[in-house]
Amino acid sequence: MQRNTFFKLTAALAADLLLSATASAQTTTINVAAFADFAGPYANVMPQMQGGRLAVIEWWNKEVGSKLNVQIVVKTYDTRYDVAQTASLWPGIKAEVKPALVLGLGGPDAAALQQRLPEDKVAMLLGTAAYGFGWKPNQWVLNLRPTYPHEAAGFLEWFRATKLEGKRPVKVAIIASEATPAYADMAKGLQSYAKANPDKASFVEAIWTEVQPTDLTLAVRRLVNAGTDVIVIQTNTAQAVATKRALQALGKNVPIMLSLHNGLAGSSKALGDPNGFAGDFEVGAIADASESDTTARKFYQLLQEKYGLKSTWNAMTVMGLGQSIVAVRAIEATIKSKGVGKATGEAVRETLLASQFTGNDLMGILPGVDFNNDAPFPTGTAKVNIATMKDGKVVRSAGDVTVPTVPKW
Amino acid sequence: MDPSGIFSTSYARDRALIRTRAQWVTLALFIGILLIYPWFASARLVAVANLMLVTSIVVVGLQITTGYAGQINLGQAAFMGVGAYAASVVEVKAGLPFWVAVPVAGLVAALAGWLFGLTAARIKGFYLALTTIAAQFIFHFMVLNLPSSWLGGVNGFSLEPARLGTFLFNTDRSLYYLFLVVTMVMIFGAFGILRSRHGRAFVAVRDDDVAAGMMGIDVAEAKSRAFVLGAFYAGIGGALWAYQVRYVSVDQFTLFNSIWFIAMMIVGGLGSIMGALIGTVLIRGVQEIITSLGPDLIERIPSLSSDLIFASMNVFLGLIITLFLLLEPKGLMHRWNILKTNYRLWPFHH
Repeated sequence: MQRNTFFKLTAALAADLLLSATASAQTTTINVAAFADFAGPYANVMPQMQGGRLAVIEWWNKEVGSKLNVQIVVKTYDTRYDVAQTASLWPGIKAEVKPALVLGLGGPDAAALQQRLPEDKVAMLLGTAAYGFGWKPNQWVLNLRPTYPHEAAGFLEWFRATKLEGKRPVKVAIIASEATPAYADMAKGLQSYAKANPDKASFVEAIWTEVQPTDLTLAVRRLVNAGTDVIVIQTNTAQAVATKRALQALGKNVPIMLSLHNGLAGSSKALGDPNGFAGDFEVGAIADASESDTTARKFYQLLQEKYGLKSTWNAMTVMGLGQSIVAVRAIEATIKSKGVGKATGEAVRETLLASQFTGNDLMGILPGVDFNNDAPFPTGTAKVNIATMKDGKVVRSAGDVTVPTVPKW
Repeated sequence: MDPSGIFSTSYARDRALIRTRAQWVTLALFIGILLIYPWFASARLVAVANLMLVTSIVVVGLQITTGYAGQINLGQAAFMGVGAYAASVVEVKAGLPFWVAVPVAGLVAALAGWLFGLTAARIKGFYLALTTIAAQFIFHFMVLNLPSSWLGGVNGFSLEPARLGTFLFNTDRSLYYLFLVVTMVMIFGAFGILRSRHGRAFVAVRDDDVAAGMMGIDVAEAKSRAFVLGAFYAGIGGALWAYQVRYVSVDQFTLFNSIWFIAMMIVGGLGSIMGALIGTVLIRGVQEIITSLGPDLIERIPSLSSDLIFASMNVFLGLIITLFLLLEPKGLMHRWNILKTNYRLWPFHH
């Protein structure tokens, strides 16, 4: 009897081991390379973004990948936000990891690889808004959000309709810097929009200042005297704080439109007043980090509770979540359409260009994504969320505001 | 000092760079290793070598300006940028091949260097340092503000791969051979310049420009020439960089890059071509090792978060450079020269 039990147990164990071995043998691994900056200019916010990226991969592997017998493995490389570092790392990554997709961080990654990726047949996804200089056909570096001027234009049309009741064009000024092409591009794009839409926006002035300005009172006084309705600042927190201080010194209250990476909460913190940017706006074509009980927020909470997400609910985390959710959906769609073994870099890019991911597919993190060969960012589905600050909290002002057409600049 | 028993019996022999049979054999072996390197090294190591070759040309140029002629230059990255943009314009706008674009890039950068060299004739020290920082900013603002049809503005330039006849330099391995040849030519040229009367004038001006002037050296011209040469090297390096990345934008050539070039030169040893090469290989090598180590450590010790590991790696890099400057401020070549002299004198101490 005892011997029989022993044999049965042994047989059961052997069968179990065999089954699990077979199952694990059938599990396919798909590699994704992620570029990070833990030692460069974005070192302080990188852990938030990275946390968002990894939690989504963890979630997908367990919820979707296990059913498809696929596991996505992310290998992270610190490029220090440096073109040379990315350029020297890439050949090794390509040869050793053979990634199906790259999660990039920003301009230096795109600069280093935009000519190589088409030859190496791997696409790169960036979580930031796009730039005019990347607006070329047949790109392999794809942004999840339209350009910064597109996002600003979406806000300006909403502002005109709701605050000015559509009676006159919005008088808009921008504060930027010539220190980097990316910052200069924001101003040039906005000028292009205003020039093409004189009935909707009137461009007052572009204030070119340092990346970290100390005092902008004189420049802001000029804008105030010109009757500016909105000041756009999509560069960084330092410029937002300097502008706010200038407005406070002048005793004026012109609304400021910020982007997500220099958003309301971060800028208020830098100003030293938790409610410092009350009445100003934060705009981005991705879920905002508002207190609202949105689909994106619920997904974030799920990742926090079940998948070890430690990053707080802020713009950088949202960008990390957005990058990864598009990546996993693209890989998932490729597997479903072409088969597990054919999820190559080229196939994933084809899927990205051919598919239209809805807001639901992307767990509400993005309004939808529809890349095409003409522009390396979503155009048809692009919508912005607008948030404002009230009693020290970021609250939503408007959701899914349509992004207008902006002529190429 | 020559090894024991080696005597120069002619002027030509006395001026020779390679003086003994052992040195010839070592050099031949070294070149042989460099030639077969891409066939044995991984793709990543070949890419790293490419970057080192390009950087070493730029740092050798800086060594001529700063290490030999004593003219501080914090704008070497800007001259590199001038070269990269010049090569891009020659290729994209004029449609000329890379073998025209690369020397033209060097000449255009040399012209920019000459302009800043003129200021070096009048000022020195911190004032000169500030002027060369200005080069960095002038380059930046010119590229961004000139009509974008000229220098691409914020859009930058995208380049096609370098081409020689029907052969395309579009792989890391082919680029390696191109860069190796250019680097060897540039280094050979640097040795030649520095052993000529111009090189001796540079050293005299560096050591005491008043005394150099009294000896009949045109100090202003020597300083200006040092800038021209340094910038020429930077321009050639910039052109090669443009063909490696094949996308040129202004933010690839920052003041931060210039400071790294100076660090490479100091770590290797001021006033030594070999020092510039060793400094470049060492700093770039440590950077690359640390960058590669991060992901492996994360895989092996998953309990440590990635941000902690990557941040520690970069603190470690800073620590290595700081310790190096504290313990060997005259650079690696100084230590090597001491070792070499001791070996040649052995068993005698004097």
